[in-house]
Amino acid sequence: MFWPLAALYLCWIAPERGWWFPSEAMSPLGQRIDDLFYMILIVTTVVFIGTQIALGYVLWTGARRTDPGNEETTWFSHGSHNLEVMWTIVPAGILLYIALYQIDVWREFRMRPYFPQEQMTASLTRMGVDTDVPGDRALAEVTARQFEWRIRYPGFDEDGNLLPLMTDPQPTDLYTVNDLHLPAGVPVMINLLSGDVQHSFFLPELRVKQDAVPGLVIPVWFQAEKSQTYDLLCAELCGWGHYKMKAQFVAEPEQEWLQWLRELHELQNEDGVEETDE
Amino acid sequence: MSGKPLLIIVPLCLAVFMTGCGSSGIEFREREETAELIPPAQDYMEELLAEHFGSPTASVAWEKLPINYHAATATVDEAGESGSVTLANIGRTLPINEGQQILWFVDGSAHSGQVAGFDEDLNALTVSPPAGADQNWAPPAPGARLTIGPGETLQQGRLLYAEHCQHCHGVTGDGNGPTAEYLEPRPRDYRLGKFKFTSTSTVRKAQRDDLARIIEEGIPGTYMPSFKLLTEEESAAIVEYVRWLAMRGETELRRIEILTLDFRAADAETQEELDEMIQEFAEAKEDDFPNDFADETEQIADSWRVAQEESSVVLPKTPRTPSSPESIAKGREIYLSATAKCVTCHGESGKGDGPQTMQVAKDASGQNYPVPGLHDDWGRLIEPRNLTTGIYRGGRRPLDLYRRIHSGIKGTPMTGFGTSLSDEQIWDLVNYVMSIPFEDRAPGEGPFVPSESAPEATVAKSE
Repeated sequence: MFWPLAALYLCWIAPERGWWFPSEAMSPLGQRIDDLFYMILIVTTVVFIGTQIALGYVLWTGARRTDPGNEETTWFSHGSHNLEVMWTIVPAGILLYIALYQIDVWREFRMRPYFPQEQMTASLTRMGVDTDVPGDRALAEVTARQFEWRIRYPGFDEDGNLLPLMTDPQPTDLYTVNDLHLPAGVPVMINLLSGDVQHSFFLPELRVKQDAVPGLVIPVWFQAEKSQTYDLLCAELCGWGHYKMKAQFVAEPEQEWLQWLRELHELQNEDGVEETDE
Repeated sequence: MSGKPLLIIVPLCLAVFMTGCGSSGIEFREREETAELIPPAQDYMEELLAEHFGSPTASVAWEKLPINYHAATATVDEAGESGSVTLANIGRTLPINEGQQILWFVDGSAHSGQVAGFDEDLNALTVSPPAGADQNWAPPAPGARLTIGPGETLQQGRLLYAEHCQHCHGVTGDGNGPTAEYLEPRPRDYRLGKFKFTSTSTVRKAQRDDLARIIEEGIPGTYMPSFKLLTEEESAAIVEYVRWLAMRGETELRRIEILTLDFRAADAETQEELDEMIQEFAEAKEDDFPNDFADETEQIADSWRVAQEESSVVLPKTPRTPSSPESIAKGREIYLSATAKCVTCHGESGKGDGPQTMQVAKDASGQNYPVPGLHDDWGRLIEPRNLTTGIYRGGRRPLDLYRRIHSGIKGTPMTGFGTSLSDEQIWDLVNYVMSIPFEDRAPGEGPFVPSESAPEATVAKSE
């Protein structure tokens, strides 16, 4: 009796203590993913408890009928057409419901045409990027490699305007490692690559997880609600140094991001001569 | 997510540790050459290193070496009431925290106390008596040199090193950890005291900042990853530990080089010669070794101390020439010239396939290496950098490339050209090198594929 009670008690206190359950999602889409998670959790909990109760009922009532002198015979349900149809249709219905219910979340999470392009374009325009130039709308290219994240950002042209990110490296590009900075409050897109084996780009607080596959350029988009530092981890066992792939994702207001990028530009063009600093 | 499973995992881990590596212990590995010495010389080496460096788990803070072993050191400026003192000349690697031990000397005798509080803004330290202090205990007087948190930096450095670095770089820092054999290029062997990518001039050693930068940024194109999320203090502690391992390795190497000259067991052909050698060793150990060793370590300590001076840093005197077709053409000309001789290793198209890569090189003892090609000071075959990839191991700032060309890459055949090339010439060369990955290519055109024949148009034009 102790273990079932302990299990019940733990289940009861777990959410408020933050055990097992993820903390609040920091992106709008992440919150909807959480809603799905909790919906499925409730469905499975109801089914689990329901079937356990039914099982218990059968065991207890069955045991009672073994009294001496009882002549009631067992009812074999095996092969009952009605029952078979029932427990095929009911779960199928539930699964179909979940499948249909989650479609729009999946669409916005993964289907390129449903990426909120206008919002991002508006953000880019605010930052002075010429959005008519052909090229990716991604703001950074993240390359996972054993065992770090190397990140490439677009640089600035001669007049100090932010250039779009090109698929191929440009002389103006800017680079960081294990330090992803992107604007907060707007949908942003990155291109995800792998330099060697399979890795997984994981932003747990934003509920973003996408495998980086060698040879593929995978667009990933997300929207950080708050300007803060988030964890960036590798979620695919990629080798003996997998645990080393810890990085940070810093979401900051558009203008601050732009300013950070300008500082990176200065830093990366450093020639060690003081006088050149304007 | 961390509550219940942890309870189960912890005892499991303990069980694994108990059965696995409990008995083996962690020890520094001696150099291979030690085994070739006569037995008393081997014992001497072991004692010498144990005396001055200890073991990984019980290390010795040998004050002769320029290493920040302690959390902080400071001089007492003024003494106030009830154990409060104002500090000056604070050298701090780790934060000063309550409960840390404080050591100081009065007339040659050691005194100790504890940190009861520290005010960062006023540099005011409150010293409390240690546990079990008698009534004569007094706080340090003005002028006293305080050691705060003795050995803590080295200790923390060791723990962090064990967590992050050891499995590749090895307990001894010999680049021979368990995961090292899977890596190419191999992890650095610190024991030569050489680090490739430094901000210092050709003959100087690496600065603390150089090592910290490598820890923070990693080395692109190699397996050295970036440890960006370490705090500044953690990184500083690792840097001190790595410097300590490097100095230990150098001390060992210098001594062994001397001992190998006269006291190799294989050099004695008869038992009589061996006995004679042992006799000579016993005499030399008494008469010469103490002074020789003191001189050697003095030189090692000095070389690291000097590297830390501002004058060791290489900084260009003229600003970078903005990259332009003219500057790039000039750079290409220098690249091909007899002064710089870049082509001999890096090849005409910069792919790192110059004629030197086919040449048989000689090792330190004058023997030919078994395979043709360039070798580094660690005796490993190395390739000149392929400049078309746009991956720069020592950093991609123009300043980094300037330093590579000016001071070379230490421990490799890449020598410094700071004396043979002017600043302007180096900048032209930097501009050329930085343009190589983008040769003949417009944005969006796809990856750069070097043409079959080497580009030579620029030479023809400029001459």
